[in-house]
Amino acid sequence: MNRITFTLLGLFALPQALMAEGARAPDLPASNIAAPRGPPLSGAELDARTQHVGALLRCPVCQGLSVADSPATMARNMKAEVREKLAKGYDQEQILAHFERSYGEFVRLEPPVRGVNWLVWLGPLAALLAGGTLVAFALRRPPRDATPPALEERVIAASTPGLPSRDTLPGDPRLAAAVRRARSLAYGWPHGVPPKHPAAAP
Amino acid sequence: MVPVLGRLLILLALLAASAGALVGFATGARPSEAGWAWARRLAYAFAALMALANLTMEYALLTHDFSVGYVAHVGSRSVPTWVSLVSLWSSLEGSILFWGLVMGAYIAIATWQNRFKYPEYMPYAVGVWLACGAFFSFLLAGPAQPFATVPGPPLDGPGPNPLLQNHHLMIIHPPFLYAGYVGMTIPFGLACAALLVGRLGHDFIRPLRNFLLLPWIFLTVAIVLGGWWAYEVLGWGGYWAWDPVENASFLPWLTATAALHSALLVERKGVLKGWTATLVIATFLLTILGTFMTRSGVFNSVHSFTQSAIGPTILVFLAAALLFAMALLTLRVDTLVPEGRLQTGPSRDAAFLVQNLLFVLFTFTVLLGTVFPLVVEAVRGVQMSVGRPYFDKLSVPIGVALLFVMGVGPALPWGRATKEQLRRALLPPLLTASALALLGFAAGVRNAWTALALFFGGFTAQVTLSEILLPVRQRMGSHGESVVQAFRQAQRRGRRRFGAYVVHAGAVLVIVAIAVSSTMGASKEIQLRAGETTSLGAYTVTFVDADRVVEPHRDSVRARMDVRKNGRSLGTLYPRMSRYERQRELIGTPAVRTSLTEDLYLSIQNIDLASRTVGLLVLVNPMVGWIWIATAVMALGGLIALVPAWRRETVVVRLPVPITSASAGGLR
Amino acid sequence: MPVTSTAGAAVARATRFNPRVLAAGAAFVVPLLILLALNLRRDPHAVRSPLIGRPAPAFSLAPVGGGAQVSLETLRGRPAVINFWATWCVPCLEEHAALRAAARHQRDVQFLGIVYEDEEARTQAFLQNRSSSYPSLMDPEGRTAIAYGVFGVPETFFIDAGGRIVEKYVGPLDARAIAALVARARDGAP
Repeated sequence: MNRITFTLLGLFALPQALMAEGARAPDLPASNIAAPRGPPLSGAELDARTQHVGALLRCPVCQGLSVADSPATMARNMKAEVREKLAKGYDQEQILAHFERSYGEFVRLEPPVRGVNWLVWLGPLAALLAGGTLVAFALRRPPRDATPPALEERVIAASTPGLPSRDTLPGDPRLAAAVRRARSLAYGWPHGVPPKHPAAAP
Repeated sequence: MVPVLGRLLILLALLAASAGALVGFATGARPSEAGWAWARRLAYAFAALMALANLTMEYALLTHDFSVGYVAHVGSRSVPTWVSLVSLWSSLEGSILFWGLVMGAYIAIATWQNRFKYPEYMPYAVGVWLACGAFFSFLLAGPAQPFATVPGPPLDGPGPNPLLQNHHLMIIHPPFLYAGYVGMTIPFGLACAALLVGRLGHDFIRPLRNFLLLPWIFLTVAIVLGGWWAYEVLGWGGYWAWDPVENASFLPWLTATAALHSALLVERKGVLKGWTATLVIATFLLTILGTFMTRSGVFNSVHSFTQSAIGPTILVFLAAALLFAMALLTLRVDTLVPEGRLQTGPSRDAAFLVQNLLFVLFTFTVLLGTVFPLVVEAVRGVQMSVGRPYFDKLSVPIGVALLFVMGVGPALPWGRATKEQLRRALLPPLLTASALALLGFAAGVRNAWTALALFFGGFTAQVTLSEILLPVRQRMGSHGESVVQAFRQAQRRGRRRFGAYVVHAGAVLVIVAIAVSSTMGASKEIQLRAGETTSLGAYTVTFVDADRVVEPHRDSVRARMDVRKNGRSLGTLYPRMSRYERQRELIGTPAVRTSLTEDLYLSIQNIDLASRTVGLLVLVNPMVGWIWIATAVMALGGLIALVPAWRRETVVVRLPVPITSASAGGLR
Repeated sequence: MPVTSTAGAAVARATRFNPRVLAAGAAFVVPLLILLALNLRRDPHAVRSPLIGRPAPAFSLAPVGGGAQVSLETLRGRPAVINFWATWCVPCLEEHAALRAAARHQRDVQFLGIVYEDEEARTQAFLQNRSSSYPSLMDPEGRTAIAYGVFGVPETFFIDAGGRIVEKYVGPLDARAIAALVARARDGAP
């Protein structure tokens, strides 16, 4: 298996699993928002969290932007409400659930993991694994039942008369080194030296 | 008079395209000189008729002829001339007419360039191109008629969407986008021809690659121009929101980039022929899907034109094209026999495959995210969103992985690499990588992905630079030339390679700039009264005063902001908040001060003239200017890689006997 | 590459069938086309309200022009119609006449207006001008609009006697729509 492929698979798969973490959400509770679950925030941290949570909410008016980015009055009001709730200590999921109660799942810009929504988070991972398998398959060592070299040699010798065989080298040492390099590239022979004829495959 | 002329031209174009498509396919199946000559003539006729139709429409727009349906829709006597000119592509029917113009131009050029070459392939290719041309002519003749006659022509029209009159970028963004989008039809036709003929040799891959590269350059620039427009005009401080229409332009770019790379393997080793053909076909299909997404109104987007009758029509064409492509590939892909074998183990071949994997994965992810709300509504009956946070989260690791592969690939040799070679190739760039990452850390980078992007960026930059200099060093060693001489000679002889590495250099810069600008910025939102000052980083911004500016298409309140950096005055910026006619929401136009290191971005959130207060958003966005510069570098690299191909000597061979399938087969 | 004869070339160019390509293509293409076709009629900007069938969100707002605060509790026991509107919204002004008439005729139903993103002075002038038959409340920070999931104006909520939202109507109302929806609010069936 190709090491590069594995490394990249790992590089991608691990963060993917961790990412969906942030979007995990239980189904919508029936009652109104309960007590705050986290510590109250203030100052620079409050600003930063307001931006962060605002970026996860869709502005209902100019629907292409998040509440954090939109200048619409409605978005500014929503952002103020987010800020107020964060200051009281509600956590991100409670705030998102609060707006979802009023506007529906549509208002969440990051798909919460429930029901068929799993597909959108796992789909890319599945595609990566499937694709990685195909790539590994394409890069696998050639199958054992390829034409044995002896036959290949004869075919080539028959079709290209007048040329020296593939295991001779020219006299000039620099030229010989170049010919060996060329053979290693062309035939895949390590160091350009033809392998001994393998014993008949068991 | 003008509407009738326009409709006539379009009908003739439809006839020419339909006839040409039939002749093309017939000549492909049963080759003949006469058939090919007629196919060419009809192709040129289609192009000429489309050009004339567009000129007619421009004439109608400039003379404010409101008897023409489209002009009554978007024309206006009170807009500047340049706005009248660009109104051609500002709205639905006109943009399809423009599509026809670009398609005709591409078909004419591609046909003329290859009129004496590839005689087995070209008739099929022209057939496919003109079939697509026929569809768009049909749209113009039927569901999306720009030349409909208005029975009682009004004295004046509403003008194009006011938002589009805001910035001069409107002049170049759509033409570049269409030159990229529509251009993908040409390689599609060539790939179909290869499948129909049953052969994709390394001679035919060359025009396929060239006609893939040319639209690619346009599309790259167009996508980034769209981002620049959003950044400079819309006021939220970002340049990409993963809006469905933005994704529509991005998807074919991804598969086209993958196809450009696998085409290289086809040319070098004769492998991955079927895969390259699939990618090229997918690129074209994604452009049709993209135009459906933009025009049908099915997707929730800020850009979409209103829903109209042409949504279902485009869907029918998309379905037909998909089924045609599936049939063609199912029945013919096995005829594209590989001539070699991929190198196993760690080698450049493997890097190419991984690159393709990542680009296809990216395409799949963006496509899945864009259509997913439709899936959920069908399954759960609930309306939900897949928005920017999702796409940002998933595209970051893919982008960083691509940055990595872009560095590892060129460092690896073509054949099987020994451990010693691997070590020599991969270790030195690690030093640059570490240096850049440490530099970033010292400058305040704490985000893991940004640090990784800097690390791989340094790695890839070093590899790219050494690959560019490799032939120069070799020439200096073996020919004893000076640096300048060696560079010029190497560039002349290996222009494709040089151009490709210039593109890579630009790409490294883009990815690193995006990583840094997304995570290292600072922002502040504050209410200011006239005379008050605020500061962010090294900048201090003073709100001096506000005034009202009335223009034909918008009514703005403009704020005057004096800016200083580290005490030194940088001048005045004028962000504004405008009400455009026909729009309910106020739209802010930011004021941006760009420098090489960072942008100072001022955007008004709310403003009140009476009380002279402004709600101001101040952003310091590092390295954003580099995104635009790096894209120019990528486009330049693409042009460099393209140039020698056009200057290649064409040997005119006129065969005295018509080519029949028997003699053509014998030439294998 | 083995050398082929002309006949061999013709055979090599004959069509062969690759079932994997067909399977991969079909698995991808067919669901996509069906999905797109099914969605041609829908308007992606029109979002259904999740509040239908649920208790109406509570509020306590001051009327336009001042006075004692009006809260949701005061509406309990009677069907209610809550109309979000603004003076800058032309369809809102057009539907006002129909709402005013309905409020006069349907005495057992409490009609209420909530002002959305507007100035008190302007709304007061408008209401006095049009001699409105039902009160309108000011929503200064838009919290009530947010709680009711308002996307824009006009939007009207029909609430039954038990305080549950029976229907949300987006757009300007006419007399027939009001009558039909008020009837449903009376029945209490969502």
